[in-house]
Amino acid sequence: MNINSNEAVNTAVKVDRLYKSFGDLKVLRGISTEIQKGQVVSIIGPSGCGKSTFLRCLNLLETPTSGHIFIDGIEITDPKSEILKIRQRVGMVFQHFNLFPHLTVLQNVSYAPIKVKKMGETAAKAFGMELLQKVGMADKAEVYPSRLSGGQKQRVAIARTMAMQPDILLMDEPTSALDPEMVKEVLDVIKGLAETGITMAIVTHEMGFAKEVSNRILFLDSGLLAEDSPPEEFFKNPQSERAKQFLEKML
Amino acid sequence: MVTKPFRFLLFLVVIVGLIWGMVIGHPTRIFAQDNPSGTTKTLVMATSPDYPPYEFKDTATSGEKIVGFDVEIAEYITNKLGYNLTVIGMDFNGLIPALRAKRADFVMAGMTPTPERQKNVEFSDIYFEAKNTIVSFQDQNYQTIEQLKGKKVGVQLGSIQQEAVKNWPDVIVVPLNKTSDIIQELKSKRLDAGVLENTIVKGYIAGNPGLIYHEVPNTEAAGSAIAFPKGSPWVQPFNQVIQEMKASGKIEQLAQKWFDRPVVTTETPEVPHGTGLKLDFNKIYSNLPYILAGIFITLQFSLVSAFFGFLWGTILALFKISTLKLLNIFSQGYTSIFRGTPLLVQLTLIYFATPQLTGYDITAFQAGILTFSLNSGAYISETIRAGIQAVDKGQKEACEALGIQYQLMMLDIILPQALRNILPALVNESINLLKDSTLVSVIGVEDLLRRAQIVGAEKYIYFEPLIFVAVIYYLMIMTLTWGANQLEYQLKRSS
Repeated sequence: MNINSNEAVNTAVKVDRLYKSFGDLKVLRGISTEIQKGQVVSIIGPSGCGKSTFLRCLNLLETPTSGHIFIDGIEITDPKSEILKIRQRVGMVFQHFNLFPHLTVLQNVSYAPIKVKKMGETAAKAFGMELLQKVGMADKAEVYPSRLSGGQKQRVAIARTMAMQPDILLMDEPTSALDPEMVKEVLDVIKGLAETGITMAIVTHEMGFAKEVSNRILFLDSGLLAEDSPPEEFFKNPQSERAKQFLEKML
Repeated sequence: MVTKPFRFLLFLVVIVGLIWGMVIGHPTRIFAQDNPSGTTKTLVMATSPDYPPYEFKDTATSGEKIVGFDVEIAEYITNKLGYNLTVIGMDFNGLIPALRAKRADFVMAGMTPTPERQKNVEFSDIYFEAKNTIVSFQDQNYQTIEQLKGKKVGVQLGSIQQEAVKNWPDVIVVPLNKTSDIIQELKSKRLDAGVLENTIVKGYIAGNPGLIYHEVPNTEAAGSAIAFPKGSPWVQPFNQVIQEMKASGKIEQLAQKWFDRPVVTTETPEVPHGTGLKLDFNKIYSNLPYILAGIFITLQFSLVSAFFGFLWGTILALFKISTLKLLNIFSQGYTSIFRGTPLLVQLTLIYFATPQLTGYDITAFQAGILTFSLNSGAYISETIRAGIQAVDKGQKEACEALGIQYQLMMLDIILPQALRNILPALVNESINLLKDSTLVSVIGVEDLLRRAQIVGAEKYIYFEPLIFVAVIYYLMIMTLTWGANQLEYQLKRSS
């Protein structure tokens, strides 16, 4: 076990010299950082900078080429670690929702609590309804995902992730696949979550949103962590040339 | 974490094995050497019940039982020796392999002890001698061997007639599977003449007006003898009884009883060389219950095979997409072998080789199901693999992110979606399976087609039973297709 007393208490995620290559392509080239409990971190950067890969390494959807990742002080990159157990505490919301098309909205939300957490079916369904209520989807509980709009699907997907009561929430471009008029409804839900004090890491292109909800901005460039600063500072006064160029294009 | 999927796959394999064992796992021990104790000792005779009056099924009256001249002689002999008799039916070409595979104690099928056969089995004394006849239409009226020069002459494959005709000068020999095929090919004018035994020819002449026959002198020994496995202890005792029967006139008496029996056909006046099929389905009216009972066999066979084929195919598909190289290699090699060799070859190999290799006396039904499950599994695995890989990668990632284990992910999330996509392909596979199931008649399973052939042999007709079962197959497949369409519709509606 790699628990370093006090540090572990407040550190939700610790990343130490993370490298990831796909064949010859070096996507992450040594990233080290920490995310404190309750922090909301936005990860931004030009496309191809490795921000999604970085996020997906945090719950081992991608296996790092080298480096160490600790979740609550437990090293998940240790081959002996029980990855499924850790994943139950690290939720993920995907760009393309990835709802289960053959299950109803409520079944989507309650499946993992019943089958993985062994929660009773009644309790899981009740909890699921509560979460659907929170994201404004309770009236669609018995509907199949194919009947929902993109924004509705993403709200259901968020409820499904929250149903596992994760300590850390990873979001991979949660609004990129949405029609513009649906972006707000999803961002509102995420904002609501951010206020509950959950630890969050969001890969996003919504600069206004990043500025508004996050405590920290991580700017990735060519697989390196180019900047790590509070949003006010980053958006007002970016340090690196690359970040300046990026912000000029985005704003 | 790599071993977990593997453990799950292993678990699946064991489960399929167990279900297999429960559903069809009762080995039948019917050979004499297998139950030396007990009061009712049994000898097993194998024969090909499509050769009346030697052996056939009187399906209208005595039902499933194989009867005939040979059977009655066998009953007499085994009775004398203090044994019960069990008669099992299979294709004529499978008889000697069956003896060598120890599936039967002896074979009686109007079989003549040729030198070729003697290399593989041991024969009793000849118990009955038949003469060869030339069958042709009245206007051709071939009477002598000389007249057949340059003519196409049909004989039964593997029969003594085939051997005899080989020595006839300049005859074009056409070996066919069944005697009834010879008659049919004669009527279709693809043959000029056929060579049949005088004992069975009368029935065909009566059933097919316009045909006549002439006996020809035997060019070599043409009698029937009983075949045993090499080194069988039964040759001597059987020979003793045969001698007794000859001396007492018993054989002569039985020959008269069977060979001069009235032929059961409703005679319809038929223009010998007319065109068009003169069909008369009344001829098979009394055999309908027997034929229809074959539906159950065929359905049972196809459904059980489809079930196991599907389970096994799923496992193979999971092997194929596994990260373990060994499983990939196994399943790919497996598929390549089972798709690359004829089903009929697999079927006969499994049926005849299993007892010799494993000592397990696999029944024809089990061998059929085993072969078809193994074969169908190879095909289905490719379909399922493609179906699984067509499921969006995001589904797997969503499961992983939720901490769902591999087996739950496969069973509850991935496979249901994959199956929905490949349902039409699975229906096709089931239809193929239903039709391919007719192959089991080769190893003697009395499915729908085999029953039609047996009735055809009994009634000396060809088309009526075949057309009748073709219609039944068509109806079964239409029902299957209809059911699949309904299912597909229901699935579509629910998403």
